[in-house]
Amino acid sequence: MRNRTEFQGYELTLHHQGPTASRSDDFDANWEIIQSALKQIHTKNASHLSFEQLYRNAYNIVLISRGNDLYGRVQQWEKDWLDTQVSARATAAISPPLLLAKDVANVQDQANERRAAGERFLQVIKESWEDHQLCMGMITDVLMYMDRVVTADHNKPSIYVITMALFRDHVLRAPIPNHPELVVANILESTVLFMIHLERLGHIIDRPLIRHCIYMLEGLYETVQEEASGKLYLTSFEPAFLEASKVFYKAEGQRLVETGDATEFCKRATTRIAEERERCTYTLSPLTEPKIKEVLDNELIRAHISEVVNLEGTGVRTMIDNHRLEALKEVYVLSSRVDGKKLPLTAAVQNRIVEMGRDINASALVTATKLPEKNADGGKKAADKDKEKPINQQTTLAIKWVDDILALKTKFDSIWKDSFESDQVMQSAITTSFSEFINSNTRSSEHLSLFFDENLKKGIKGKTDDEVDALLENGITLLRYIKDKDLFEAYYKKHLSRRLLMKRSVSMDAERQMISKMKMEVGTQFTSRLENMFKDMAISEDVTASYKTHIKKSGDPDQKRVELDINVLTSTMWPMEIMSNSRGDEVQLACVFPRDIERLKKSFEEFYLSSHSGRKLTWQGNMGTADIRANFQRPNGKIQRHELNVSTYAMIILMLFNDLPAGESLTFDEIKAQTRIPGHDLIRNLQSLAVAPKTRVLKKEPMSKDVKPTDKFFFNSDFQSPFMKVRIGVVSGGANKVENQDQRKGTEKRLNDERAGSIEAAIVRIMKQRKKLVHAQLMTEVLGQLSSRFTPDVNMVKKRIESLMDREYIERIEDDPPTYGYVA
Amino acid sequence: MAATNSSQSEYVTIVSGDGFEFVIPRSTACVSGTIRRMLEPSSKFSEALTGRCVLENISGVVLEKVCEYFCYNQRNKNQTNVPDMDIPPELCLELLMAADYLDT
Repeated sequence: MRNRTEFQGYELTLHHQGPTASRSDDFDANWEIIQSALKQIHTKNASHLSFEQLYRNAYNIVLISRGNDLYGRVQQWEKDWLDTQVSARATAAISPPLLLAKDVANVQDQANERRAAGERFLQVIKESWEDHQLCMGMITDVLMYMDRVVTADHNKPSIYVITMALFRDHVLRAPIPNHPELVVANILESTVLFMIHLERLGHIIDRPLIRHCIYMLEGLYETVQEEASGKLYLTSFEPAFLEASKVFYKAEGQRLVETGDATEFCKRATTRIAEERERCTYTLSPLTEPKIKEVLDNELIRAHISEVVNLEGTGVRTMIDNHRLEALKEVYVLSSRVDGKKLPLTAAVQNRIVEMGRDINASALVTATKLPEKNADGGKKAADKDKEKPINQQTTLAIKWVDDILALKTKFDSIWKDSFESDQVMQSAITTSFSEFINSNTRSSEHLSLFFDENLKKGIKGKTDDEVDALLENGITLLRYIKDKDLFEAYYKKHLSRRLLMKRSVSMDAERQMISKMKMEVGTQFTSRLENMFKDMAISEDVTASYKTHIKKSGDPDQKRVELDINVLTSTMWPMEIMSNSRGDEVQLACVFPRDIERLKKSFEEFYLSSHSGRKLTWQGNMGTADIRANFQRPNGKIQRHELNVSTYAMIILMLFNDLPAGESLTFDEIKAQTRIPGHDLIRNLQSLAVAPKTRVLKKEPMSKDVKPTDKFFFNSDFQSPFMKVRIGVVSGGANKVENQDQRKGTEKRLNDERAGSIEAAIVRIMKQRKKLVHAQLMTEVLGQLSSRFTPDVNMVKKRIESLMDREYIERIEDDPPTYGYVA
Repeated sequence: MAATNSSQSEYVTIVSGDGFEFVIPRSTACVSGTIRRMLEPSSKFSEALTGRCVLENISGVVLEKVCEYFCYNQRNKNQTNVPDMDIPPELCLELLMAADYLDT
């Protein structure tokens, strides 16, 4: 340690003029002292030696320029010492069992014997090494002055390094008597490997002992330059260790796969990995850790993982089915060690998701396929009542479908979170699979919308805000998977309109929440129309209120008898099928309202148009409801009064009976002629009034389920109900249900028309911006723009392009490659 | 017993060839590489056991200066712009030799 010495520069000039140079120039005398001290040190007898004296002796030798000789003598002395004493002891410790079982295969029989011998041998090696190290440390200290001068002058390695190399050559590489082909190091290596093998088999071994031997190998180098890569540990032991491990784990992997238990495999592999890591820390060298990890990854995992994942009965599939998060986690951890993409695992998970999804789809579709057959059998009118049940069932099934998927989703979410460490790759794999099977069900949009409908109508009753939020959030996650978002929008709009108009929604807050969630998920464009529906509802409330004040002011006593709640709907924002007046081909004339109502209607129209001139009001009788108070004349003279909540049409029908003397009847055709209610709606309303058992306000002759044009209807003054208020629902009219085949076709047709519009709009937008575009590029851009709403059919886009060319919005500029230009 | 005492003791004794004794803190003495090795507890030389270093070939006068330098060195460790130590010219050569010997 020569810090801040101003004398440094003079060092070499001093050697011949030491203060004691004249007193002792006798090399041999000095060497004698040092030599005897060396022996004392090696026999651990140094306590009476004076460091200063020895140091001074070596100093004196160096001063008389015999330092190099001293170096040589010490080296020679150490060599002799190692040869005669240390090496002899080491070879003596090698007992026959160590020599015999070079291969580790037949360990069982002689294991204990060999182990004991091995431990003795390692102990000897360890002690020899530690003694040597300690003594050489002391000797080097004593000879420090020599070391400084000689190593600098003659460019030799330090005496310490040289004697370490001597240890390597004369102890570790000493041949073993009677076995000229073996050296001590070979035995050391095979013994340590044997110990490790024992440990892998579950025995307990003396780890610190091995660790010390490894320290020795790490402390020795191939050359005196002592490069890090030249450590004996790295050059000889480690390769042997890795090779042995490879053999071991190859066999182990094979064995584990053959037992056919994936869980067991993963458990073992995981423990093995931990074991090897621990081994590197406590028994071997940390340097080996990445290498042994590589061996494990290759031999144990990479070679077998896909087999393990797909093992019948215990593989990933079974783990998923039994929700074995721990096992899955192990599979995941193992997979991610060897493969960033974790292909076998993702594939297995995806397959399972799609399979489970298919099952869900299949169970939802079972009755859907049965339905058309029934229709065909039953004839047109007869089917009406029969259809009721399957449709209800189907609606339940649709909701069950969504619930099932949500359950599945929850399951996989928890697997993803707990077992897959929220891995991105896994997430996208899971998402893809969900989206795949959800979209493979063509009715997924409808089902999902029904699910929302059901929940917003009933499901959220009595739930806390948080629960509602979670429920809606779940639904939204599914929406994320659905490709044809426009189809969902169509259904949602339809169902929402029913909820709004019939006031079936439990909580407007939840509805708004839903919309805002959808807005975040799909975008403003998607929800703007839905929002407008809400706006219409709000405006309508205002209009109703102001109409009421208007009536009060005008003070017309006649009007007070009927109260009016009106909803003014913007026709473009609301679902077409609700708005349209025409069903099929026949144009429907507006129905005839009773006089009182007609007057009310006129008065409102006047009122509304006075503030909103230029608008046209169309009255949608099929969507409204009415509360009427009905008096039932009992035979005993009493009058039973009920409040009936009925549809607008039913109200019109009932009002006809007001003008009719008791006991008279009206036929179906008469009613139809007088009211001009569309036949389809009329049948349904009459059914609910005269057929449904609890709400039989009318009597029908003949009494049957079907309504025929010649049927007669009477007012039923015997009507009985335990309730004061009676709600008479319209058969299969009000509730939101799964559509039947015809309705579906209609929806699809409307959807296609709408899509055509969207596609054209997109094409024109793009062309207007680009002016000129190659066909392929135009296709990509169109698909890109529309992908958030739906996946456009390529043929459809082509047709739209042609149609736009016909109409001269765009033109074909070149044929090869086909290029279009925008026509301004 | 002596070994444990000396390894714990905070001070060591440095003795010159002509019998002057200097008791200085162990850490200060260890500025010299030679003395540090001499006192190395693991080596078990007699100096390490007793905590007493006799330096045969250094005179008391020089050793005093050497000890002074030890203190000076330790005090000014890791500092810049340190004032030079005052060294009498007649001691120069002997100090240089001692420095070489003590690996300072």
